[in-house]
Amino acid sequence: MIGVLVLIVYVATAALAGLGVALTAANRPPGRELKIAVGIVAGLLAIQAVIAAVRVFGGTELPETSTFLIYLGVSVCVLPVAYQWATAERTRWGGAVVAVAAIGTAVAVWRLQMLWAAGSA
Amino acid sequence: MPDPAQHDPTCHNPTGSSTPRATSSGAGRVLVAVYGIFALSATARAGVQIATRFAEAPVPYLLSALAGVVYILATIGLSGHRPWARPLAWAAVVFELVGVLTVGTFTVLDSGDFPDDTVWSVFGRGYGFVPLVLPLVGLWWLRHTRPR
Repeated sequence: MIGVLVLIVYVATAALAGLGVALTAANRPPGRELKIAVGIVAGLLAIQAVIAAVRVFGGTELPETSTFLIYLGVSVCVLPVAYQWATAERTRWGGAVVAVAAIGTAVAVWRLQMLWAAGSA
Repeated sequence: MPDPAQHDPTCHNPTGSSTPRATSSGAGRVLVAVYGIFALSATARAGVQIATRFAEAPVPYLLSALAGVVYILATIGLSGHRPWARPLAWAAVVFELVGVLTVGTFTVLDSGDFPDDTVWSVFGRGYGFVPLVLPLVGLWWLRHTRPR
């Protein structure tokens, strides 16, 4: 994968999780700031997924290509779905829902990174 | 600041004190989100394992698939509003607790026989022990929101 971008994605998902928890702790329903934050992180994940997919289909050998592609799909899809779920009922808990999704996404990216490292080693 | 949704998940249905309170409301939405993520990851993992190398370790891979199905059913049960949603959630979460305790105990006692490959191995160690805590939270939440 792309070293710097992965790092940025980790920082971004961690920051998003922090924001979500902070909103819940402050008893604030999801608002504009959460929407923008989710949009930025989802955009970063989409860029990462496109680059990784291009490299995989461009001939980069991986030990578990199918697993890698599934995790890649998961890393992109979880946040938008969770954001819908978080905002369908506007309570303080929306932020926590996004935080859970951000952590789950970070774990998926970590798995992706390990699979990628196993391929390029 | 008081949070109405936290103390009164019936906000959709303010008059119905005798009807079940929604398990997917308020803090329940966070629980459903966690269940949804586990449903997705366990099912995807089992799908890949079964599709690519089923013969290597059929029992753990089938257990992974079973865990995935249980998480899916729990997610549906906890997020649903229909009459069958709550019994489904109870059944799935109880099954999940029995599953994680059984597989967890078995893998702790006899790890050699059992590759570290299911969500429930060693009480969910590979997933930060969330699989062990999740059914306990689920049971508490189902009790907390039960019809009164």
